[in-house]
Amino acid sequence: MNRTSGKPTCKANVASVADGHRGATRRQFLKAAGAAAIGAPLIITSSALGNADRPAASDRIVMAGIGIGNQGRGDQGAFLGRNDVQYVAMCDVRDANRKQCKANIDNHYQNKDCKTYGDFRELLARDDIDAVHIATPDHWHAILVIEACRSGKDVYCQKPETLTLREGPLMVAAARRYGRVVSGGSQRVMEDYRGMLEPAWAGEFGTIKSINVNVGPLPQLCNLPAEDMNEDIDWDMWLGPASWGPYNSKRCSGSYSINGASWRSFSDYSGGGMTDWGAHHFGGATFVCDVRELQPTEVVYNDNAQGKWLDYIYPNGLTIHHNKPNSGNLQIVGTPGEKLAPKPIPEYKGWGGIYGDFIHCVKTRETPFRDIERGVNTCVLAHLGNIAYQLRRSLKWDAAAQQFVDDEEANRMVDRGRREPWQL
Amino acid sequence: MLDQAFEALKKYDYGTPISELQAIEDAVVASHTDAAVRQDLEKRLIAALDSGISRDAKDYVCRKVAMIGSPAAVPVLSKLAASEENSHLARHALERIPGPEAAAALATAATQLTGKLKIGAIASIGARRETAGVASLAPFLKDADPAVVRSAALSLGTIGGAEAAAVLQPAIQSATGDKTALIDSLLQCAESLLNSKKTAEAKAIYESLSGDQQPRLIRLAATRGLLACGAKAVES
Repeated sequence: MNRTSGKPTCKANVASVADGHRGATRRQFLKAAGAAAIGAPLIITSSALGNADRPAASDRIVMAGIGIGNQGRGDQGAFLGRNDVQYVAMCDVRDANRKQCKANIDNHYQNKDCKTYGDFRELLARDDIDAVHIATPDHWHAILVIEACRSGKDVYCQKPETLTLREGPLMVAAARRYGRVVSGGSQRVMEDYRGMLEPAWAGEFGTIKSINVNVGPLPQLCNLPAEDMNEDIDWDMWLGPASWGPYNSKRCSGSYSINGASWRSFSDYSGGGMTDWGAHHFGGATFVCDVRELQPTEVVYNDNAQGKWLDYIYPNGLTIHHNKPNSGNLQIVGTPGEKLAPKPIPEYKGWGGIYGDFIHCVKTRETPFRDIERGVNTCVLAHLGNIAYQLRRSLKWDAAAQQFVDDEEANRMVDRGRREPWQL
Repeated sequence: MLDQAFEALKKYDYGTPISELQAIEDAVVASHTDAAVRQDLEKRLIAALDSGISRDAKDYVCRKVAMIGSPAAVPVLSKLAASEENSHLARHALERIPGPEAAAALATAATQLTGKLKIGAIASIGARRETAGVASLAPFLKDADPAVVRSAALSLGTIGGAEAAAVLQPAIQSATGDKTALIDSLLQCAESLLNSKKTAEAKAIYESLSGDQQPRLIRLAATRGLLACGAKAVES
């Protein structure tokens, strides 16, 4: 990769930063540039210096996106609309997405500066980019988050953050190793469950004994037949670490279907509805019950005349049910007659919802609302559930060791092999 | 039902309703409590892998062998690991089968195969997370292909520990190209040592990466590691 040729041309990138505290480095650069102006002419545009409506280039976060399909476009729009972000590049395996995305960004900035890539490694090799947002299918998330951390980028990664149990700790470790801000991407955790969240944190339910989450379905193995490829897509790159399969438009569709018409349905690329919506609902349940920092120690598999459902047992005594018969989504069983002291509900930092929370934390190095570790803990519920349903038995989970207790078969499902040449 | 499913496997290919194989899935799950049944099922799966079934069918069977396979499945998986079509899911199974046979098969594959398949085998040695894999991986740090070096480094980082660190450190000293994977893997070794309460060894690694000659991101990581070592020392 020729790093020099990867230099952006937009005005926000007047400074090049190697790593570490990027904002400070850019500011230092501008300071140095100001000093240099004494000796030699230097043109700094009003755009670079900022104006009443826009921070100076030195205070903008230079961003790029990877995987700009349905969800990625939404995320991109949120970041592009911020005046404290300079969006400079994108990567996608579809040529049509690259062209459309570049047109949108260039139109937004009224220039031609947005660079497009088909290979994320070239984008991540650029040393002028502060942060990336990732909205690829789930089978790419772990590799991209870890590689982004290795290259010194902060990361906003769409939910569900992980595809396997093992990926989570590796993503957290990479974020911590390099001091990166890594946020998961579920806006619903904060916004969709206020009706239960506020009374729960106000102590009105007393000690919460259980909460139920209704979500599904389970993922299915994709066995779709080959179709003619009627789009310009790098198929090998789309598949990436997932097993090879022939091109089929449903296999790689980014629609929100979880019933066989998109990649979200299939186990090679997703945990099915369990992870796709579970990232929201389990996230909401763990937030309501204030166990976002914990993982369960046991998954009890129930199968009787009423149906199949799970009980996740937490070390603090809480039970999260999954699809318990005759129970509503986020239905709580509290302790009648008990009222607990109220606690302040954590809120997003900065402005602009979960996207603003991330940008604020990139600037301040604070911990985002859906810090990667919380996203991982949420996804653990979905993965444990998928494994328990597939094996049709109860499982004990050692969260510290990140393995099942006395169950070699289940431990074989903690991770999966990755197609060559990909590896974490 | 199981006989019918194995019969269906002979014609199974992309587009075949997967429900035709449900009895195999059921048998795999049910064999959890019966070693004899499992052994018999594994024999049938191995025989299927050794037959002329489709690529898709072999991939399906590899997924099942990954769940219940024993060293008995290693020979047929080794053959498939050398094939462009089935290498990935054969390795997926080999990564999971306990015992030295599967580890040895991957070590042999890493030595004998070339290109992406070689890299896949190297990655699978790391995925087994066995300290014994370090000896297999060490020679690849001197490979002429940077992609092989990178893969070996990442595998060593995945395994972690003092043994992996001991082969990574000289490789970093002598490397002339991109050192990102090598250094990241050494940092992973330091983390695993710290988690094993081998604070002094972890600290020595972090100190070795703290010099001004290191890129700023690495110095940042090393500083964070040294702080963690300090916290661990206070803890203990």
